[in-house]
Amino acid sequence: MAQTTYKKSITFGDSNVNCPITMGSYNTTVYNSDEDAKIMGWLSPLEPDNRHHSVRTNRCEGVGNWLLETREFQEWRGGEGGADEAVLFCSGDPGVGKTHLT
Amino acid sequence: MSLTARNASCLVIDRLCDQAREGDFAVAWLYCDYNIRQEQAAINMMGAIVTQLIRGGIPNEIREAFQEAERAGARRPLLEDLMRMLRIAITKLPQAFICVDALDECLPGDLPRLLESLRDIIREFPRTRVFLTGRPHVGQAVRKYFDRAVEIPISPNKDDIRNYVVMRLDRDEMPEAMDNSLRDDIVRIILDKMSNMYVGVPPLLAVDTY
Repeated sequence: MAQTTYKKSITFGDSNVNCPITMGSYNTTVYNSDEDAKIMGWLSPLEPDNRHHSVRTNRCEGVGNWLLETREFQEWRGGEGGADEAVLFCSGDPGVGKTHLT
Repeated sequence: MSLTARNASCLVIDRLCDQAREGDFAVAWLYCDYNIRQEQAAINMMGAIVTQLIRGGIPNEIREAFQEAERAGARRPLLEDLMRMLRIAITKLPQAFICVDALDECLPGDLPRLLESLRDIIREFPRTRVFLTGRPHVGQAVRKYFDRAVEIPISPNKDDIRNYVVMRLDRDEMPEAMDNSLRDDIVRIILDKMSNMYVGVPPLLAVDTY
C-alpha cells in the first residue's frame, strides 16, 4: 500500500511583509510573527492596501484638491464635535470623469 | 483624471494618512467594487476595517479570539465577533477615521448592515469620523442611518477636466503628429463638449435599487 506523507504545504513567508504604505505608529503594519499574518487573514480576506495603491496610481496629482479645502471637509476632519458631525458623504459617479473622457 | 467620487476617496485617504504620521489617529478604508461584491460581504468589510486599525499591534483580546477559533477547527468570525473586535481596536486608539468608497457597489443586502454597524460604532465612540462616497441615490440610505451627515456633491469642474486632457495629451505616443494649435483645439473642443454634457444633467440616476 502506498504511503502518504503529509507535509505542511502552507507557509506564510517571513515576517517582512511588504506593505506599500508606511505611516505613523498606528498606521504601520507590524507583523511580529507568522501568527500575526494569519490573524489578519482570519479577520478578512480583503486587501484594501492593494486597492488603494491601484486607485492611487491612476489618480492625476493635484486634481480635486478643492475638496480638501472645503469648509465641510475641514470641519469634519478637525471636528472634535460628537457623533452629530461624524459623517461626511460625497455623492457622485465613481467614474464620472473616466467614463466620459477615456 | 477629473475628480470623481473614487478619486475623492483616494484623495481623502492620502490626506488622512499623511496627517496620521504626526497625528494621534488611525485610518481604515474600503473600496467597494461591484466586481467582487460577493467577497465584500459586510462581514469581510468590517474585518478589513479591524485589520487596518490594529496595524500598530494586535491586541491580546483579538489574538486570544483567533487562538480559540483555531482550536475550534479554524472557525471564521461572525459579524458580531468582528464588531466586538472593532470595539476593542477603537478603544485602544485616540481616534479612528473610517473611509468607505462606492457604497452603491455593495450588495444591497450588505449596505444596511454596514451602515448600521458604523452607526453603532459612532454612537459608542463619538470621536470616530466616517467618510463615505456613493452615487447620489445611496444618499437616502446614508441619511436613514446618519440624519446629520454632511453631503458634498462631486462633479468634475472645468479645471479638473482640463488637467486630465492635458495629462493625456502629454502622454501621447506620437507627439510629433500634433502641433500646438491642434493641441489647443483638442483641449478647447473637449471642454466645450463637456460643459454641454453637464448642463442640465438630471438628478443623476435617481433610481432606487433597493
